[in-house]
Amino acid sequence: MSVSKSFRWIDGPAALIFLATLALPAGQASAEEGVLDTLQMHGFLSQALVITDDNNFFGPSSEGNGSLKYTEIGANASIRPHENVLLAAQILSRRAGGDGEDAAPSLDYGLIDYQMISNQQRTLGIQVGRFKNPFGFYNQTRDVAFTRPSILLPQSIYFDRTRSLGLSGDGLSLYYEEMVPSGTLRTQIGIGQAQAGDDLRRTMRLEDAPGDLEPRDSAIAQIKYEHDGGRIVAALSAATAKAKFESHAPTLNDGDFEFVPWVLSLQYNAEHWSLTGEYAIRSSRLEGFDNPFLNFDVTGESWYIQYARRFNDNWQWLVRYDSLTSNRDDRDGQAFEASGAGPAHSQFADDITLGLQWSVNPRLMLAAEYHHVDGTGWLPIQDNPAPSETERRWNMLLFQLSLRF
Amino acid sequence: MAWLRAALLLWLLPLGGSHAVAEGQAVLLVAHADVTTQRLTRDTTRAIFAMRQRTWPDGQAARVFVLPNDNPVHERFVKERLAVYPHQLQLAWDRMVFSGTGQAPDRVRDQAEMRERIATTPGAMGYLEREYLDERIQVISMD
Repeated sequence: MSVSKSFRWIDGPAALIFLATLALPAGQASAEEGVLDTLQMHGFLSQALVITDDNNFFGPSSEGNGSLKYTEIGANASIRPHENVLLAAQILSRRAGGDGEDAAPSLDYGLIDYQMISNQQRTLGIQVGRFKNPFGFYNQTRDVAFTRPSILLPQSIYFDRTRSLGLSGDGLSLYYEEMVPSGTLRTQIGIGQAQAGDDLRRTMRLEDAPGDLEPRDSAIAQIKYEHDGGRIVAALSAATAKAKFESHAPTLNDGDFEFVPWVLSLQYNAEHWSLTGEYAIRSSRLEGFDNPFLNFDVTGESWYIQYARRFNDNWQWLVRYDSLTSNRDDRDGQAFEASGAGPAHSQFADDITLGLQWSVNPRLMLAAEYHHVDGTGWLPIQDNPAPSETERRWNMLLFQLSLRF
Repeated sequence: MAWLRAALLLWLLPLGGSHAVAEGQAVLLVAHADVTTQRLTRDTTRAIFAMRQRTWPDGQAARVFVLPNDNPVHERFVKERLAVYPHQLQLAWDRMVFSGTGQAPDRVRDQAEMRERIATTPGAMGYLEREYLDERIQVISMD
């Protein structure tokens, strides 16, 4: 399923932009030397080792010597055929547990960016194609290790369970940046079709149900203020993403899924340290099924606070407290357990993280990280198919090597 | 007491001296000769170096050249003239390059290469110490 889906995306209209990006320099090279000069290609590769004492994270991490099934590989190209136009596309192969076919390359983004206004006071632009959703501080480049403060992003907000839905949109996005005397105000609004992957089916507990999960129109908006060159950054992001389950079985009717997350983000940057916090509230609703056990309507809550400190030029250590509540009306999960749906500890997760990063040179980064987690709220379902067999308190050690060009 | 004062003075002198040299050699904002803009605000300069603003104020495409992150001249220019930190700038570039929202600046190895690229690339912007300037390079003043 993943393979066919990936290739379907590569055949899709957004892929034409990627091909155009690659083909354009050849076509115009003789016409205008300057355009070819703007062609850029970049890429990255990350490989992690995940070791847990109990529970599995991104592969069989609690067995033997741990799991190597966390790999991210990406390559992109961009070119500016005109001073106001940017063409850009990226192919991503990502495996986070699961089987090898999950790593089939797919189009991460592929877009035409046109800036209608660009002057000292403001910038107004539009992106058409597949664009990355600006959500919280990290969503747009969540798969690129060099842009993350730690090996794993705070899982209470950037978990994998609804990853595909929030990752990108196929449609158009408008952005507007205004320079104010004290800083920069940036607004972005995107409308497009979200993606609905296997992760979502598992989260909705429909992985075995016969039928298709079809993405519907989704919208995302972010307003971000950067004070004094980025010393203080504040952002508010909101999204609404929809998908429809189209049943293929006579005993099961269709269902509608809607996911509405909000994130408030704050960061203070000093020369040698950064303090970051984000708070998210999200409602997930599945409705329309005749079988009431399939429907749900819950509001979850997440927040984290993170302190990162740079030292010896190329080193950074980090400490973070990260908390997830799956259902605000049942914070300790007791009602969930009483209903027979699963263990109480699957409804929350409190994670204490210690991390270390070393940029050996601009192309190579090594990182190590320790997590002590109380709860399994963001533990990937595919790695732990039987929730009753999970442990409430568990520890995780991660090592990662990242390269870029 | 006199010997102590003398010792202290001897110890402090080289520190003060090198400090004065470092401050005296301001890193200059420079551009290709065809650029019509002669003054830029710090905010605009920062937006162009952060690769968020892609054009000069008159609409001409800007081509940004930078030295490696650990080069002291890069560090001084970024900290003193743009009032940001090299690692912040690098993160801003990475976020754009890997999200399809922008491009990275062009890297040069040293100031000699910077001078050649600025002199030969229309719309080019970069920075140099005074001793590397020549008649093909335009200095842009910063408010």
